[in-house]
Amino acid sequence: AQLQKHVLYTTSFAIRLALVAYGDYQDRTMAVKYTDIDYHVFTDAARFITEGQSPYNRSTYRYTPLLAWLLTPNIYLSMVFGKILFIVCDVLSGLLIYRILCLRGLGSEVSSCTTARRVSSLWLLNPLPMGVSSRGNAESVMAALVLGTLLCLEGRCLMRASILYGLSVHMKIYPVTYALPIALSLRTFIRFIGSFLNTELFLFASVAGGVFCMLTALFYYMYGWQFLYETYLYHLTRRDIRHNFSPYFYMLYLTADGAWSQWLGLAAFLPQLILLLVASWAFHPDLAFSCFLHTAIFVSFNKVCTSQYFLWYLCLLPVVIPHLSLSLNQGVGLLLLWFAGQVILFFVLHLNTTSDMHRVYKIVIKSAGWKMMHLIPLYALMCSGC
Amino acid sequence: MMHLPRIYERGLKDSFPQTIKQEGQVAFASLTKTFPITILMYIVLFSMVTCLSTCYCLIDDGENEKHCGPLKQWFESTSVSVEIGKKGFHREVVTTVELSPDVVAEVNVLLIYRWPRGVYLDPYQLAAESDQRDWQILLNSDIDLEVPAHKTSGFVTYVYPTLDGPSPRLLKVTIPIHGRYSEPSFIGKTFTSVNIEPPELLLRTEKCMQLNNLDPHNVMDAPCTADNSSTCSWVKIQCQQEHAPVSFQFPVGDRTLVMPVCGGTLLVTVICCVALSKYMWKHHI
Repeated sequence: AQLQKHVLYTTSFAIRLALVAYGDYQDRTMAVKYTDIDYHVFTDAARFITEGQSPYNRSTYRYTPLLAWLLTPNIYLSMVFGKILFIVCDVLSGLLIYRILCLRGLGSEVSSCTTARRVSSLWLLNPLPMGVSSRGNAESVMAALVLGTLLCLEGRCLMRASILYGLSVHMKIYPVTYALPIALSLRTFIRFIGSFLNTELFLFASVAGGVFCMLTALFYYMYGWQFLYETYLYHLTRRDIRHNFSPYFYMLYLTADGAWSQWLGLAAFLPQLILLLVASWAFHPDLAFSCFLHTAIFVSFNKVCTSQYFLWYLCLLPVVIPHLSLSLNQGVGLLLLWFAGQVILFFVLHLNTTSDMHRVYKIVIKSAGWKMMHLIPLYALMCSGC
Repeated sequence: MMHLPRIYERGLKDSFPQTIKQEGQVAFASLTKTFPITILMYIVLFSMVTCLSTCYCLIDDGENEKHCGPLKQWFESTSVSVEIGKKGFHREVVTTVELSPDVVAEVNVLLIYRWPRGVYLDPYQLAAESDQRDWQILLNSDIDLEVPAHKTSGFVTYVYPTLDGPSPRLLKVTIPIHGRYSEPSFIGKTFTSVNIEPPELLLRTEKCMQLNNLDPHNVMDAPCTADNSSTCSWVKIQCQQEHAPVSFQFPVGDRTLVMPVCGGTLLVTVICCVALSKYMWKHHI
């Protein structure tokens, strides 16, 4: 069993390394580049840091300065350092999925860990995270942080969990939606209001809040208001009329400069908020499933959605699969539906950027793809969960 | 009191007023004799200087005429044409310059593009691909990559192609451009047109520095090279064949559909939200 585990991790790392090497070859020889534009944005921001300037001098850099600092070896050592870091985080995420599954257990330790190994290969040998990490997207870092938080919470190591949680919220805002399920899972079973007042929850909240505030204060001191705006406020008020998979895209594009723009933004936010609250309360006994649902709802009902957002809930899916009551056929059917939606969405994106196909048809195809991708599997998973 | 020797006393007493008078007379006499000669000398000197400078100018003009003269002929058989490659929002502008056969090898070429607000160039992409190209580019302003077309204005770029080969004839410059999102149309149009004018072609040669023989409308100042460290005088070539601007189209939204789109989107979202919430409430709460 140990040998099989080592073979699995070594193979998955080797495949990712081979993809990085191939990507380097494609970038040098072909017109269509393998590396994502975001990787160049990270590298340019890291270059500004090595010259003693702010990473926000690079336009369209809208991430934490921590990421640019992490990637400064791209300038000092080699451009490929960042990609190696991302694929290491990717494989680490697979290991964390395995450990969470072992902890959640399905019976005897041996069988649960055997199942855990098979299920974690759904992530480790999955071409989607392989492609995303080898292209230079930083989503695997977030996946590792979120899975680390979940593992520590499942193992009741609250101090480590709170530090990782604070760090993950600093890097991207979306884990803040996990606050309610985490709070619900940490409360003691007394009266409703009183159950929130306990030492564990207080400790978790203060350490996580402290880590977040400390990092924010440090980077605010270094880079000023631009850090706050680009890292957080831009994403909260973002109405991206370009490169957007969200079903709200066309509505927001048509009303971008109108008087109703703010009200429509709020109207789009309310369904998201209501579903998050209801899902927290309905599924809080199973923290992993609750976090998965939260992320899926957040991504599906968000005003902005790009291709990397899918990784946010995909990393939590292997953790919840063993506890679903779906049959194999149903599971495979939903997976095919999701893949079909993905193909449609990427096909439309390709048409959007490379040809002159009429926009309305693209919108219709895109929303049909979105619906298939998210809502139907979401509904089915909810029916079978817990 | 010092006593001067007698002889000096006698000289001073006797010859002082007479010496000045005599000296003055002598000076006046010599002046009247030498004045004409002096004048004559100055006239000759002035004539020589004038003659020399005229000769120098003539020689210089001769050299100038030798290097600058052909510039006038370059007007006649040079052409610039523009084509658009690729489709969608990411295109290429391919500029082909056919230089006159008389153009000397040591000429510098400058293409000035005046871009409309519907497109932009990505300076980061240009910097990353600079080693794969044989031309340099200078942008006249910072470019915002994300602003929509109706909230920005056009901009100017200076492109300096590198001429290789002893007698350059044909230059090809391919510039990657990207379309900006335009505001939705109020009148039901589904496409917006963007026109790309052919660039202005300017030439400069190190050997021809005196451009005052040429029509002043055709001489303009521009940066000498892409690093913008100095300004030079360039000659603008009016091409014999004026090529029309090329245009291409980007899709735009239809603002006349705003009510059905908003209504439909919000309705679908609310239905999905209610269905999911109802299920969760019924079965799990």
